[in-house]
Amino acid sequence: MGALTRRILMAAAAGAALPPAVAHAAPTFAPVVPGRRLAFPRDHGAHPDFRTEWWYLTGWLETASGPLGFQVTFFRTRTGLGEGNPSRFAPRQVLFAHAALSDPEVGSLLHAQRIARQGFGLAEASTSDMDIVLDDWRLAREPSGRMRARAGGDDFTLDLALAPTQSLLLQGQAGFSRKGPQPSQASWYYTLPHLEVTGDLVRRGRTARVRGRAWLDREWSSTLLDPRAVGWDWTGINLDDGGALTAFRVRDARGRALWTGGSLRTGDGRLWTAPNGAVAFEGGRTWTSPRTGAVYPVAPSVRLQTPQGERRWALTPLFDDQELDSRPSGGPVYWEGAVRIPGGRGYLELTGYAAPLRL
Amino acid sequence: MSADTPPLPLRIRGLAKSVPGGRVLFEDLNLDLRAGEVVAVTGESGAGKSTLLNLAAGLDSADRGEIEIAGQALSRLDEAGRTRLRRDRLGFVFQAFHILPHLTLAQNTALPLVLAGASGEPALARAAELLAAVGLGGREADFPAQLSGGELQRCAIARALVHGPALILADEPTGNLDPETADRSLGLLLDAARSRSAAVLLVTHSARAAEAADRILVLGRTGLTDRHGG
Amino acid sequence: MAADPPLSRTLLGWMVRGEWRAHPVRTLVAVLAIAVGVALGFAVHLVNRSALVEFDAAVRSVSGAADLRIEAVSAAGFDESLFPVVARLPGLAAVSPVVEVPARTADGRSLTLIGVDPLRAARVTPALAAGSGAGFGAGGALAFEDSVWLSPALRPDGDGTFAVLAGGHRIVLPVAGGLPSVEAGRRIAVADIAAVQQRFDRLGRLTRLDIALAPGARPETVAKAIAARLPADARLSTPEAESRRTGDLSRAYRVNLGMLAMVALLTGGFLVFSAQSLSIARRRAAFALLRVLGLPRTGLFLQVLAEGAVLGLLGAATGLAAGAGLAWGVLGLLGGDLGGGYFSGSRPALDISPGWAAIHAGLGLAVALAGSLFPALEAARAAPALALKSAGQSGDPRRRPALLPAVGLGALGLAFAFAPPVAGLPLFGYLSIALILAAGVAAMPWLARLLIAPLARIGAPVPVRLAAARLAGAPDQAAVALCGLVASAGLMAAMGLMVASFRGSVDDWLGAILPADVYLRVAEAETAGLDTALQARLAALPGVGRLEARRSLTLRLAADRPAVVLLAQPLPAGASAPDLPWRRGPVPAAPGETPVWVSEPLSRLYDLKPGDTLDLPLAGGRSPVRVAGVWRDYGRQFGALAMDRRDYVRLTGDAGANEAGLTLAPGAHLPDVLQGVRAALPPDLAAQTEVAPAGEIRRAALRIFDRSFAVTYALEAVAILVGVAGVAATVSAQTLARRREFGMLRHVGAGRGQILAMLALEGAFLGAVGAVAGLALGAAMGQVLIQVVNPQSFNWTMDTRWPLGLLGGLAVALTLASSLTALLAGRSALSADAVRAVREDW
Repeated sequence: MGALTRRILMAAAAGAALPPAVAHAAPTFAPVVPGRRLAFPRDHGAHPDFRTEWWYLTGWLETASGPLGFQVTFFRTRTGLGEGNPSRFAPRQVLFAHAALSDPEVGSLLHAQRIARQGFGLAEASTSDMDIVLDDWRLAREPSGRMRARAGGDDFTLDLALAPTQSLLLQGQAGFSRKGPQPSQASWYYTLPHLEVTGDLVRRGRTARVRGRAWLDREWSSTLLDPRAVGWDWTGINLDDGGALTAFRVRDARGRALWTGGSLRTGDGRLWTAPNGAVAFEGGRTWTSPRTGAVYPVAPSVRLQTPQGERRWALTPLFDDQELDSRPSGGPVYWEGAVRIPGGRGYLELTGYAAPLRL
Repeated sequence: MSADTPPLPLRIRGLAKSVPGGRVLFEDLNLDLRAGEVVAVTGESGAGKSTLLNLAAGLDSADRGEIEIAGQALSRLDEAGRTRLRRDRLGFVFQAFHILPHLTLAQNTALPLVLAGASGEPALARAAELLAAVGLGGREADFPAQLSGGELQRCAIARALVHGPALILADEPTGNLDPETADRSLGLLLDAARSRSAAVLLVTHSARAAEAADRILVLGRTGLTDRHGG
Repeated sequence: MAADPPLSRTLLGWMVRGEWRAHPVRTLVAVLAIAVGVALGFAVHLVNRSALVEFDAAVRSVSGAADLRIEAVSAAGFDESLFPVVARLPGLAAVSPVVEVPARTADGRSLTLIGVDPLRAARVTPALAAGSGAGFGAGGALAFEDSVWLSPALRPDGDGTFAVLAGGHRIVLPVAGGLPSVEAGRRIAVADIAAVQQRFDRLGRLTRLDIALAPGARPETVAKAIAARLPADARLSTPEAESRRTGDLSRAYRVNLGMLAMVALLTGGFLVFSAQSLSIARRRAAFALLRVLGLPRTGLFLQVLAEGAVLGLLGAATGLAAGAGLAWGVLGLLGGDLGGGYFSGSRPALDISPGWAAIHAGLGLAVALAGSLFPALEAARAAPALALKSAGQSGDPRRRPALLPAVGLGALGLAFAFAPPVAGLPLFGYLSIALILAAGVAAMPWLARLLIAPLARIGAPVPVRLAAARLAGAPDQAAVALCGLVASAGLMAAMGLMVASFRGSVDDWLGAILPADVYLRVAEAETAGLDTALQARLAALPGVGRLEARRSLTLRLAADRPAVVLLAQPLPAGASAPDLPWRRGPVPAAPGETPVWVSEPLSRLYDLKPGDTLDLPLAGGRSPVRVAGVWRDYGRQFGALAMDRRDYVRLTGDAGANEAGLTLAPGAHLPDVLQGVRAALPPDLAAQTEVAPAGEIRRAALRIFDRSFAVTYALEAVAILVGVAGVAATVSAQTLARRREFGMLRHVGAGRGQILAMLALEGAFLGAVGAVAGLALGAAMGQVLIQVVNPQSFNWTMDTRWPLGLLGGLAVALTLASSLTALLAGRSALSADAVRAVREDW
C-alpha cells in the first residue's frame, strides 16, 4: 500500500497534463471487482491492464554495526498514452523503482531511483511470474519461491535473496482490498511477510554480507483513493512470534479516517482481517522536519479492535529523520521508515503531512 | 699638478691627424686652455679646423697624441665614456644652430640636462634662467620657426651653457649671421662663458670673430701657431 | 658621474610630442596602419571565435553531456535494435535514443525536429528532456506524446499548435512548452520519440544514441566494446571527433580570413617601417645633434624604438576597439561565417577574451617595433660628426643594392610552395606567400633602380627628366616608399587572380552540372520526397521532354569528418558514366562491379583514385563499389560521390527521389512548365519543394560566390588603402624634406607649375614602378594561392584566369593615386618660403 504516494502522483500528473487531443482517446482500465481468485505464480507477475501496480519490499538488515532499514520498490504504471502507436518506444507502460537505506549512523535516508518506459528488454515486467527488469535493477522470483532483488545507486547497492518462510497472506476479502467508501475504490492486495533475507550490501566500495527479515506488499488497481483523501498512514510489522500486522488508514483534510483496513495473522497462521473502522492510529511523539517544516507522528500507537478484544502496539522509529523529499524529481514529501514495536519490526509510511496530496 | 689646482678644461699634446685620402692635416698639435679662456683657431678651408673640434669632442679619433678634457684623457675612454664626457663637460655651438624645430626654446635649451637624466620641470626652469641670460626671457614656449637667426644662435648659446660645461666648442658660430648680429651673438657667448669660467675653443674663418678671443691661433700642418707671436 | 639612464622619458615625451605636432597626419597614418591591421585581425578572430563558441554550444545543447555518440551514417538512420544492445554494455551510465528529422516550419525556414525519450534524455542530454522538469518527474514526461516543445527561437502558430514540414508530410502538433536551456538562435523542436517515429515514417529507425559513461569507465574500453557491435549504417563518434568535424566545416575558410587580416597587419608593418625610415632620415641631423650633446648610442636606438612602440601601442589600442566594433557589426549583418554560408540560421553573440585581445595588441606592437627596428639600428649606427654636417643626405647613389637576399627568400618561398599541408591547412603555402612577398620587398631597391634607371635616359621635357633623375639618384628612398605599396598591390593582385580563376572555374562547373532546363529539389527529404508515381506524373507533364530523378543523401564515411553527399542519378541513354566535369576518368567498370564517380574533394580527403574500391554504408549493409572517375565539384567541400541510380535502387530498394532535372520538350514555354510542375505536386510536398530554372540557380550560385568573397575584397581594399597611404606619407615626407631643392629650382628659374609637374610625375613613376613590381609579385603569389593554398584548404583545383581588366585597373589606379598624393604633398611644400629654404642650407 505504501506506494500510493508515487502512484497517485503519476496518475494525477499524467491525467492533468494530457493534451486535449489525446485525453479523449484515454483507454479503459481494468476495474478491481471481487470474486476473482488470485492464481500463482501468474499473479506475482504484472497486470498491465490495470492502471498501477507495485512490488514493495521493506525490511530490516543486521550488520556488524547494528540494524538498518531498507526498501526496494518497483512500480508499473499504464499511462493511457501511445495505445495506438506501433512504435516500440510508445510510452504505454512506464516502470520506475526506488531504493532507500535507513542507517541511524547516517541519520537520514540514502536514496536511489530508476525510471523507463517499458520495452527493448531494458524495462520489462513479466506477466507470468514476478520478474521486473529496470536497466540494472531487477526483482525476480525463482521457481523455488525465493526472490532476488538488486538495486542501488551512487551511495549503496543491495543484492538480496529473499526466501519466504510463511505462506502468502491475502489482504481484504481473498485479496480484494477496499480503500474507500466507494466499492470501486479498491485494489488487489497480497503480502509475503517474514521473508528471510541474505545478501550483499555495497557501500563506499565495500561489500558486507547482511541478513535480515523483510516484507513484500503486492498491489494492483485502477481506482484507489476517494477524492476527499489528503493522505494516509500505513504500517506492516513482522512480529517476533511469527505473526504479521498490517494497518492503514486514509485521512481526510481534517485528519479523520475516511477508510481503514488491515489484518493480523498470528504466529499459528490464523488470519483476522480488520473491517473498516477497526484500525486506529493514535497520537504519540511528533518529529518536525528541519527541511520542510512538516510535523510527522513518527511514534504512533496502532490500535486494532479484534474479536478477541482491543490490541495496541506502540511504534518506535529506528531514527526520526526518515523523511523522503522527492520534490526535486517531481514527487511528494513523505516519511517512510523502519520502526519497531516491543516484539516486532517493520515499516511505517506517513503521507500528506507536508502538503495535502492532490488528486 | 697639485691636488687643489683644477685640471685644465682642454689639454692637447702631440696630436696628429690625416684624412682618409692620406693628406696630413697636422702632425704635432699642442694646446692648453685655462678656465675662462677663449682661444680662436683660424686657418684655410680644409686645414682641419672642424676635424680638430670633432677630435676634441671625442667624435673622431686621432692618429697620435692625447687630448684631455677637464683632466680626462679621451683615449682612455670608451665610446660611452666619451659620450658621457660630452654630455657633462662640453657645450656646443654650431654654425647652423641645430636647434630642433619641433621642440620649444626651453626644451632645446634643456636638452643637455635631460640627457644627463634630469626630469622635465627642474630642467626647464634652469633653461629659462639661461634663456633670460641670453635675452630670450619670456620666449621659452616659442618654437624655433618663430625666431630669427640671431635669436636661434642665442638659444644655442644658452643650450651650450645650461649644464655648466668646462669647455665650449664653437664651430663658425657667426657664419650664418649678418655682421651686426654676429658681433652681438659672439659677445654674448664669450661674456657668458667667461662669467661662468668656461673655456671656449672657437673655430672660425672670420678675422673679426677671432679678434674677440684672448688668443688667436692659426692651424697649419705643423700644428697651431700664435698669429702674433708666430 | 651620474649613472646613465638608457632612455630619458622626458626626452622621449618631448620628441614624440614634437614629432606629432610637426607631422600629425603622417603620425596618424602610421598609427592607423597598425590599427587597421590589428582591427581586421581581431575582428576576424572575434567573429570566428564567437561563431565557434556558438557552434560548439549548439552541438553541446543537442548532444548535452554525452560522452560518446553513435550516429547514423545517413538520414535513413540505423535499426533501433542497436539501442538495447548498446544499453546493456558495461560502463555506461545512460543511453538516450534519438530520432532526428531535418524539417521546416510553415514559413519555409529550417529547423531540427528531435524525438527523444525524455526519461532517457534526462540523464544524458537534460536540455532536450522536455517537460520533465529536473529530469525525473514522470508526469510531464508522460504527457509528451503528440506534443512538441520549442526552443526559444521558435514560436507556436496562432492557435497554440506548431506545424512541421518534413519528407513531404505536414504535421501539426500542439505546443506543450519551451526548451529554456537551448541557446537562443537554435531552431529545435523536441517531441516524443514514439510520436516522431510514427508520424514521420521513422518506425524502427534511430538516428543517434547519446551515451553517458558510468563514473570511472574508460572511454576507450567502452568505445571498443561499442565498435564491435555497430552495424554498417552507424558510427561511433567521440566529442573530440565531433568538435573536429564541426570545426572542419569552416576551418579552412576561417584560416584564410585570418591570414588576410594578418596580411593587412603586415602591410601596416611595412607602412610603419617606411614612415619610421623616412622620419629618421629626415631627423638625421636632430639625432646626430643628440648624439653630440651626449645621448649614447643605445639611448638613441631605444629612443627610436620607443617612438615606434608608442605608435604601435596607440595603433593597437585603436585597433582593438575598432576590431570589436567591426566584429559586432559583421556578426549582426552577415552572421558567424562572414556570409560564407557555413553556419546557418544563427546569430552568435560577441565573445571577447582578454587573452586574445592582448595577443592581437601584441602583434600590432610587434609589427610596429619590427618596422622601427632597422631604422633605429641605422640611426644608432650613424657617425654623429659626419651626420651633423651632411644632414638630409642619404647613401651613395653609386652603391649597388644587393639582390642576393631577395633571391634567397624567393627561392625558399618557391621551395615551400611544394610542401604538403600541415594538419589539413596550407601553412607552408602561406609561408611561401609571405616569403615571396618578403623577397619582393627585399628586391625593391634593386628593382627600383632597374626600373627607374632607363627613365633618366629618356629625352623628355624638363619635368620628366628632373623627376626621373631625382628617383634614379635615390633608389633606396624610392624603395622605402614602395615597399608598402608593392606589398599591398601584390597581395591585391594575387587575391584578384585567385578569385577570378575560382569564379571562372565555378562558372564553367555550374554549366557542366546543370545541363537540364529546370531543377526541382525537395528540401529535408533524404528519405522521402518524390515517389515513383509522382516521378512518372511529372515526366508526363506537357512540355517536359525528359525527367531525370535523383536521390541525394548525406553519408557519414568517417566519424571525425563531415558527411559526404551521395548522388544517385540516372545515366544518359547508352552511356556508362554520367555527364560530369571530369578531372580524371571516367574509366569503365568491370562487369559485376558497381562504379561510383567521386568528386575532387572526396578523392583528396579520402585519398581515392580511379580503380580504388570503397565500402559504402547503404541500407544497413556495406556495399563494395569501385571508383571509376574523379570530377570537379565546388558545391560540396567535404566530398560527393555519384552513382548510377539503378545501382542505388538495386542496393537500397529506395526508388524515391528528392531532386529532379527536367529537360523541356521542343517548343515548350518555360513559365508554363514551371507552373505545371508546381501544380502537379501535392500541397504539403510543394511547400518543401523548390522549382527553379537552371539559369536562375546559376545566377544565385554566382551571387552567393560573390557575396562570400565580398569580405575578402573589403580586406584587400583596406590593405591597398594602407599601401597608398604609405606612398602619400613617403612622398609628402620627401617633398617637405626637399623644400630647399625646390627653392633652388625656383631660384634657377623653374616655374611653380614645372615643379608640381615634376612631383606629380615622380609620384606617377613611383606608383607605376610599385604597380609593375606588385603585379609581378602578385602573379607569383596568386599562383601559390591557386596551385597550393586552395587545393590544400578546400581540396579543389581551378584553372588560372587572368583578370586583365582588374590588374590593369589596379596599376592605373595606383599610378594615379600616388601621383595625386605627390602633387598634394608638393603643393603644401611649395607654399613655404623658398628663399628662406635656401638660406637654411649653409
